[in-house]
Amino acid sequence: MWETLAQAVINGLLIGGIYALVSIGVTLIFGVVKIVNFAQGEFVMLGMYISFFLATQFGIDPLVSLVVSMPVLFVAGVLIQHFLIRRVLGPNDMPQIFLTFALSLLLLNLSLMLFSANYRTVHTSYSDEAWHIGGLYIPVAKLIAFAVAMALSGLLWVFLHTTDLGRAMRAASQNRDVAMLMGINPNRVFAVAFGTALALAGAAGSLLMPFYSAYPFVGQVFVLMAFVAVVMGTLGNVMGALVASLMMGIAESLGIQFVGADSGLIVVFALLLLTLAFRPSGLGARRSR
Amino acid sequence: MTGDRKPSAINNAAPTKASRTKLNRRKFLVGTGGMLAAGAFGAVPLRGWAADPINIGALYPSTGSMAQIGVGCVAAAKLAVDMVNEAGGIKSLGGAKLNLIVSDVQSDATVTRTETDRLILGNKLSAIHGCYASALTLIASEVCERARVPIITGSSSDQLNKGRSYTFTPFARASQFAKAQLQMAKLVSEQAKVAVIFENTAFGTSTSNGLKELAPGEGVEIVMFEPYSAGFTDASPLINKVKASGANTLFSLSYLNDLILIVRTVKQVGLNIAINGGSGGFVMPDFYKNVGKAAEGLQGVAHWNHDVNDDAQKVNAEFKKRTGEFAFEYAGGLVAQTFMLADALERAASADPKKVREALSTLDVSSGYAAMAPGGKVKFGPDGKNVYGRPVGVQWQNADLASIFPKEDARAPLMKT
Repeated sequence: MWETLAQAVINGLLIGGIYALVSIGVTLIFGVVKIVNFAQGEFVMLGMYISFFLATQFGIDPLVSLVVSMPVLFVAGVLIQHFLIRRVLGPNDMPQIFLTFALSLLLLNLSLMLFSANYRTVHTSYSDEAWHIGGLYIPVAKLIAFAVAMALSGLLWVFLHTTDLGRAMRAASQNRDVAMLMGINPNRVFAVAFGTALALAGAAGSLLMPFYSAYPFVGQVFVLMAFVAVVMGTLGNVMGALVASLMMGIAESLGIQFVGADSGLIVVFALLLLTLAFRPSGLGARRSR
Repeated sequence: MTGDRKPSAINNAAPTKASRTKLNRRKFLVGTGGMLAAGAFGAVPLRGWAADPINIGALYPSTGSMAQIGVGCVAAAKLAVDMVNEAGGIKSLGGAKLNLIVSDVQSDATVTRTETDRLILGNKLSAIHGCYASALTLIASEVCERARVPIITGSSSDQLNKGRSYTFTPFARASQFAKAQLQMAKLVSEQAKVAVIFENTAFGTSTSNGLKELAPGEGVEIVMFEPYSAGFTDASPLINKVKASGANTLFSLSYLNDLILIVRTVKQVGLNIAINGGSGGFVMPDFYKNVGKAAEGLQGVAHWNHDVNDDAQKVNAEFKKRTGEFAFEYAGGLVAQTFMLADALERAASADPKKVREALSTLDVSSGYAAMAPGGKVKFGPDGKNVYGRPVGVQWQNADLASIFPKEDARAPLMKT
């Protein structure tokens, strides 16, 4: 019984790390640029395809291809922010919603056209490996993905708290107008935030590739979880999104283990409703308010 | 549009002159057997009617989540039509060629309904085949029933045989799959303890219920019975449960993506368990490509396999030439179905869907491409079920699917894992 429980928690924690990378991206964009990026899942998908093609064409390990997928998506993010998002930033939310939604549809259908709906997997030496400790097992590919996801989240935290640009991003996220009065260039900050968020999505894609199949709709599986985590962890709060993602991974795993294999999402959404009932602004909200 | 409606003036105002002549002409054409051409075009000259192509509708999901399989189905449908046409078409109709009209149902229930309607209303169809996924076929067959166009399908849901007279299912039913799977579990161990996991869709639910009902009769103990939501991100919790159940055989009723995750996770856990992947995604060439060596020795059931007989081997070779893959069950079954339709058209000597239905209901073949199925014979009962239909047990051996069960259909011995 305890073994089963421990195993369920391990499983949940490991997949929660991937949810975290996606949701941190969403929450970062929401916090800084104040828009909801509905296309975040599609960028995870692009990250997966980048790793897939690098692996099959050039024999590059998906984890190594992180150094390609992250910069590529960072640049894509900066360009999208500069040429698309910037034009619709204004008092009205609707154009932004439609823009990112259209971006999602466009990427989805483009990839259907270019890559077809086939499932693509990459075999690595560690794809089917697992470490066995006592009665428990830890899949190597997922452990690596989790570790890298946590390391990237940590790096982001350090970046946000110790560099000028990071502080500027946090300032813009707390109060955009005051930040601008203090001489912060919002366009630059927004571009970096959007680029960083997409780079994280690309990282999630590359990390997923050793153990999950790439297909055009794959992003939608992860983006649903990301949105729940973003709401639960307080909109715009990076640490909140991280904690909420891990919690949701564990909740889903426990739900499947102890409630029923088709009840993972039920438990996740129950957790969300409970959180919102007691902490309406989410887990990451400051109490003093 | 149906062409055989008798003009009646009882509840109508007197017909106008134009419509009266039209009805008269239609009645005349019914008498001469050319009513199909007439229904659509009214004034088509009679001499052209005999060799008019016969429209066969094909409903498959060539986009969306099932696209990959749907595209393969369409390739098979085209191959089958080419084969019939190259052999001289439908001789009783003056060598009329089959004309395949493909419609994409986009892996979506709503789209399936509208596309089936659109296909029937927009074309003079003699018959339809489709849609791969049982959930979609159930909807299409409902529409066909109302429109009185026969539909022939490889989908396995037993619900397709309830209350329908225009639906024909020449291959094994889900309940039969279940029985075959249970018997295969006993090939592995006399003390069969089975864990059943299934996706919560029409396909998964109907197949798993069949398993549950039949297990006691086959002397198989089911130690775990669990639905899951298709398209999960992580199979570990589910496999964790399987491990805890103490089963020695795992039945996984899933489409491709989930199954890949499940098999990989079983290997990671180091769980020593015989896996029977059932049908669906498991018996697709892509499964092996995605899972690789870990797939060796895994078992499944299919309604068709490319080694059932020489005709099937021929179809397989041709399909391989065209697509690069071996003919998967649905593709091969679809070729057989097209030949069943051709046989019915031949005997009906008419492209009228109702007559085609009549001819299908009296179909009785035991040789040729129409009979290339496990069991080797096709004859439909009153519920549209092939009375000889049975599934074939298969196993992945050396990157190919080999038939291993039952004895009469086995083409290779069971590989122990």
